[in-house]
Amino acid sequence: MDKRFSGLFNLTEEQAIAILDTPIAQLNEDDSRYVAAAHLVNFPTERSIQALMRAVQTTDRSLDNRIVRRKSIETLGRLQAKESLSAIRTCLQDEDCYTVENAVWAIGEIGTEDPEVLAEVAQLLDKPGQTYRVIIHTLTKLNYQPALDRIRRFTDNEDPPTASAAISAVCRLTGDMTQMQQVVEMLQHSNVLGRRLSIQDLIDARYYDAIPQISRCPVSLVFRLRGIRQLADAGVAAGKLTFESVRPYLEQVLRDRPEDLDLVHAYDRTPTLPFLIRELYETDFGRCYLATKTIIEHHAEAAPAALFATYKEEAYGDYGAHFHVVKLFGWLKHAPAYDLLVEALHHPQPQFQKSRAAAAIALGELGDSRAILDLKACLATKIWDLKYAALMALERLGDLSGVAIAADDEDWLIRAKASLYS
Amino acid sequence: MKSVVTTVIAAADAAGRFPSTSDLESVQGSIQRSAARLEAAEKLAANLDNVAKEAYDACIKKYSYLNNAGEANSTDTYKAKCARDIKHYMRLIQYCLVVGGTGPLDEWGISGQREVYRALGLPTAPYVEALSFARNRGCAPRDMSPQALSEYNTLLDYAINSLS
Repeated sequence: MDKRFSGLFNLTEEQAIAILDTPIAQLNEDDSRYVAAAHLVNFPTERSIQALMRAVQTTDRSLDNRIVRRKSIETLGRLQAKESLSAIRTCLQDEDCYTVENAVWAIGEIGTEDPEVLAEVAQLLDKPGQTYRVIIHTLTKLNYQPALDRIRRFTDNEDPPTASAAISAVCRLTGDMTQMQQVVEMLQHSNVLGRRLSIQDLIDARYYDAIPQISRCPVSLVFRLRGIRQLADAGVAAGKLTFESVRPYLEQVLRDRPEDLDLVHAYDRTPTLPFLIRELYETDFGRCYLATKTIIEHHAEAAPAALFATYKEEAYGDYGAHFHVVKLFGWLKHAPAYDLLVEALHHPQPQFQKSRAAAAIALGELGDSRAILDLKACLATKIWDLKYAALMALERLGDLSGVAIAADDEDWLIRAKASLYS
Repeated sequence: MKSVVTTVIAAADAAGRFPSTSDLESVQGSIQRSAARLEAAEKLAANLDNVAKEAYDACIKKYSYLNNAGEANSTDTYKAKCARDIKHYMRLIQYCLVVGGTGPLDEWGISGQREVYRALGLPTAPYVEALSFARNRGCAPRDMSPQALSEYNTLLDYAINSLS
């Protein structure tokens, strides 16, 4: 899993276990059992697993304890602790739907072929108020064919992400992919979570045909890249895809021009620049891309000053707006932003990671050859999208000397890109 | 947007009936609490930046490791991350106070968000800690009336519960 945040709370294993074991009434004001339960994911040891199981079996119904139980279940799932399966199974009948959701998810992570456990999970589809999407995912992941009819009932569910999961599940369990187009259509859902979640269903179904549409889906490029990358890994390994067949879409997403997206929002009149700048802070990236496109088309001259101002005031610390400001300086080919872009290229904080590849692309747009050394330095990182974007930018700057470094990369995708130049 | 009123009407319409006495009682209850909710919404709107900042400052203070220079989550940027997301949740809580139901949080903040956090391995603990701080910090009558605070805290609990 992603280890970027593994050091977040700087607790030792002993400290985390001690906090988790402390009765709520005796807990120090500064200690959090929830944090301890989350943190133990970094320690795949017997004593951590035992401590987490004790937390699962502490059934005090207060909110503070309830959230600790849920997090402990999730952590046991991440640790794939088989010995915790029976403790987790007892949570399937819990009255708290999120505890049930986490238990079902954890069973999917741990894996089981026990027909009694699987039947119990499947029966949850008949119970009102559950997170059916997760239940469907787990049953499909564990290939539980007897659940097929129950899952089929959700294919026209009023909640689109639930319907999307069910359609995808039926296709996977039956091998008949004819209905997958309905899931593809959800890439244009008005709700951003609907769009993001349909990408997950397309990944799970290994529906390679959707790669072009995923590349045009108006969500953060993090979700699109994750989808295309996972499909490429699976498809190339299975001999269903080639690097060349994926490459145009992958590079389109890494380039991330707003005109390459099928936007779901529209303005009824051209907004002012200050309004558009505020839109760059939205959590729905579909709105941010519309703002970016409008800024380029209607405010190209006035935009750089406004971008510098918002960067200084707020965007330097907002990982969403930071990304869009970086992108815009590239599309506007604004040479005075060079230093800002180089700084973004080397940004050390994990939540700003997507700004780094964005800065590489933007530096390529600026066409300033001073960036070559900085871009080549990125080829030594472990971040695949940054390396790939750096190769694209270097290509744009006419420098192919990075190819030698990339040719031996540990990642097949980077090696494949490098091989295009050799 | 789901609220007590729209839920009652939708249920009645689906069954082809008039709202029942208990339906009307729940609408009445929601209307009676609306003054308190709107007071909380107004106070929260006026202090959104401060409330969010206080919450993440508390989180940073509690986990002082996050302040260490050069750490992956050193001060300014980590604070900013929290600020962005805490503000987003506070805004949804404010919408819920106005609507008189949990619709905005359910539709924009929860449904699917748990899956996204899990799939990307993103830590929820900082948000839970920051929102818990906001809940414990609120004080009546200093910040708002007891009734308004109760409405506000109920929604903070709802957000903490559904995020964790």
